[in-house]
Amino acid sequence: MLNCRNIYKSYDNNSVLSDVSIELDDGTITALIGPNGAGKSTLLRILACLEPPNSGTLTIGDKQANYPLDMWFRNLQPWPKVTAVFQQLFLWPHLTLRKNILLPLELKKNSSANDIVNEIIEQFDMASFIDRYPNEVSGGQKQRVALARALALKPDYLLLDEITSALDVEQAAEIVKHLNNLKNDGMTILLITHYLGFVRRMADKVIFLENGCIRESGNFEILNNPQTPALISFMNAFSELEALQNNI
Amino acid sequence: MGIFQIIIDYQEAFLKGLWVTVKLSAIIWSVGIFLGGLLGVIAARAPATVGLFVSIGAFFLSGLPILVLLFWLHYPLQATLEIVIEPFITAAFALSIVNTFGVAQVVRDASIDFPQQYILAAKVTGLTSRQALFHIKLPILLRQLIPILLNLQVVMFQSTLFASLISVEEIFRVAQRINSMIYKPVEIYSALGIFFLLICLPLNGLALWLRWKYTRNISET
Repeated sequence: MLNCRNIYKSYDNNSVLSDVSIELDDGTITALIGPNGAGKSTLLRILACLEPPNSGTLTIGDKQANYPLDMWFRNLQPWPKVTAVFQQLFLWPHLTLRKNILLPLELKKNSSANDIVNEIIEQFDMASFIDRYPNEVSGGQKQRVALARALALKPDYLLLDEITSALDVEQAAEIVKHLNNLKNDGMTILLITHYLGFVRRMADKVIFLENGCIRESGNFEILNNPQTPALISFMNAFSELEALQNNI
Repeated sequence: MGIFQIIIDYQEAFLKGLWVTVKLSAIIWSVGIFLGGLLGVIAARAPATVGLFVSIGAFFLSGLPILVLLFWLHYPLQATLEIVIEPFITAAFALSIVNTFGVAQVVRDASIDFPQQYILAAKVTGLTSRQALFHIKLPILLRQLIPILLNLQVVMFQSTLFASLISVEEIFRVAQRINSMIYKPVEIYSALGIFFLLICLPLNGLALWLRWKYTRNISET
């Protein structure tokens, strides 16, 4: 289980997260939604142990960290058991896409690294471009590779920050299928997305964050029947956008 | 007397001058790249102290003609300190300082501008700090830096000409001497030009090729 309790985070006295507690149950998909600047990406970085909160508690499996950390206590380093894919994908530009996926496995001295990579290339239908460099492929192709790089490590917890933003509808549907399969295999997934269609199709739990606070959480039904003014307003804005897109 | 006849007739003098130029360049290059690289890395890690020192030093030196620096170090400074230093050492020292600060500034800027997100991606994929340094950061940085550093070293190589001002017997000084004897400036300085082209063009070409081959857009788009 991955959970955080009473997380506070501020930058230069500006509060970004305030008393946030969430729990990701094993083998589930949790969607984190909210307007820009709500603190979603910050929360993801905290859960991925990439930056410490000012205060609170983070538990990953049987390991726990209480913040602020004692001087002699190092932050948790749960990678790649916990891994993340970011909105900007950060594929290493000096390596081919294949090598981007292969390198972490090779450095772990994984004897079946090549087999794992070949399997994942087939799964994600990447054979036609896998030997190119990141600057030679499209945003959607890069996004698939970034996800493949994370999945090749067979993490227990996968944290995804807006990874569907550069995908077309078909590719996004493929990703939804993959994520559902991964969930069925027992992987725990946290997904930040603006696509509420995704959330409805695959999230077991939805958390709505606004101004650094959790305003509402529950299953996807909270989207159909929002209770708090913040989520009502967010859903209205989303419906207006959808109507506008339909008109176009 | 044509260019090649002059080169043949004075080959011994030219070779001596060439040897001095090569020695001078070798010192400037190795000191500059080693110390400059080191200083650049430290400057990136300590921007408020060493970083500031490197920036001010590089800024000052970029505005100061090398000729003037050599002159100051050779004449007024040595007279003030009442010491006499061999011109070759003075030239090697002055040009090494210029190269060191140039290299340090380039290395510092590249290190500071390096997108830390690549290291973040290395972290979440389970690479250790050491693995991230050797497999991600250094290869990316070197690919960006090598063409720029090669160009800088070509400029420094050409700057060795200025050492003639303080009587270093390098190739330009030799050419001047030969010219004073036979007065064939067009031929002699053309020969000198050919010599520099022979050295500099392959280096510039190599820099261009490395840039084309290895330098990619490292910003996330």
